[in-house]
Amino acid sequence: MLRAFRFVVELFTQRHGIVAFVFFLLVGLLMRQAPNTVKQNVVSSILGSILYPAQMAMSSLDAYRSVVAENEQLKQENARLRQETYYASEGLQELTRLHALVRFDDKWGFPIVTARVVGHNPGRFLTTMVINRGTHHGVHENMPVFSMNGLVGKVTKASYGYARVQLLVDPNLKLSVMERRTRVVGFLESVDGLMLSAMVPTHAGVKVGDTLITSGLGGIFPKGIPVGTVKTVRQADLDVMRQMYVEPFQEFSTLEEVFVMEKEPDWIIQEMLDE
Amino acid sequence: MNKMKWFKLFLLFILCFVLQTTVGDWLKIFDVGPDFVIIMIVAIAIKYGPATGCFWGFFAGFMQDIYAPVEWLGAHTIAMTVLGFVVGQLEERFLTLNLPAKTAVLAIGFFVCDMIYFLLTGLEKDVVTSLFFSKTVPECLYTVVVGAVVFHLSSGKMKRRV
Repeated sequence: MLRAFRFVVELFTQRHGIVAFVFFLLVGLLMRQAPNTVKQNVVSSILGSILYPAQMAMSSLDAYRSVVAENEQLKQENARLRQETYYASEGLQELTRLHALVRFDDKWGFPIVTARVVGHNPGRFLTTMVINRGTHHGVHENMPVFSMNGLVGKVTKASYGYARVQLLVDPNLKLSVMERRTRVVGFLESVDGLMLSAMVPTHAGVKVGDTLITSGLGGIFPKGIPVGTVKTVRQADLDVMRQMYVEPFQEFSTLEEVFVMEKEPDWIIQEMLDE
Repeated sequence: MNKMKWFKLFLLFILCFVLQTTVGDWLKIFDVGPDFVIIMIVAIAIKYGPATGCFWGFFAGFMQDIYAPVEWLGAHTIAMTVLGFVVGQLEERFLTLNLPAKTAVLAIGFFVCDMIYFLLTGLEKDVVTSLFFSKTVPECLYTVVVGAVVFHLSSGKMKRRV
């Protein structure tokens, strides 16, 4: 075993590392050329077996670090809550107001799971997040994920205790959106992993500052979740179409908590996904 | 390189990645943060040469590709492998680099790595130009500053050993 290892190391370090370089370069090129299904399998297995446990451990250390401060904060909160029990009616009114504020109402009629973001992709383009809720908590693939500000993305991989969330800025995520004022429907997608863009007919009259919501047509996201505002509108390649760049309501790099809507895809979409 | 060194490099590699995905966020200024992974690859390549440089470059790039959009799988891997191999040509065994030289190598390596990455992802020219000025340049400057501190600290440690 040791001999074989030594042989491989010596082979790779020959000619000032050119053998190793060519080998790794070929592997990289093979990865570039592989079909997307193979790439997806590779990514899923590595993510679940190595990176998630490491990030989870680091996240736990981070939580431990702040436990003293949190304890102090909880003591204060406990004192405050004791006082508030004497004012139950005011508390109930405040709760109703807060519910409306964070859109926790039953507008969509689906249960909500609150989750903490415990990791994200290390690359320059933030496209994926890992949350600490999985199938054990009722989270499954293709469930919509949103925050207090608006739509965040959807669950692409759910394991027992964690799930991977594909963000709106991932070029692979495309969704049907509707402009709130004109009710025109278009497809939203990320062009480069940073900006969102959508094409709409010119006659619709979409303007800068207009608001986009989910249209409910894709079968995955329910209708009416806020997505973002139109930042710029420009002429598309076709005269009859306009391309708009959209600024999402939610800033993804500062996201700490998200809500997963326990909504399964509509049956026809589910059948297509299963196929 | 003995087994202990490999083990140490592996631990450094894991630590670097965990730092990048967690502590890296604390150091961000206006959404611009240092790239610990590139600093690590350049440091390893300079110290141990091209074979070790491209080996760790390959694995570091692959780990970054895991989280990138699936259709770009392999782009980071190739860019980092090239970075490790090219920087490894300046191995300390044959060439002594002072702190400004190492920092310059880090800066050039960062740009080259990004350019290869942009080339492989096939992004449009306008998008690449925009990303170059909004991401590559500020992140390169930040990484160079952090890298200079890391190189200075590591060289101080080496001198104490001598």
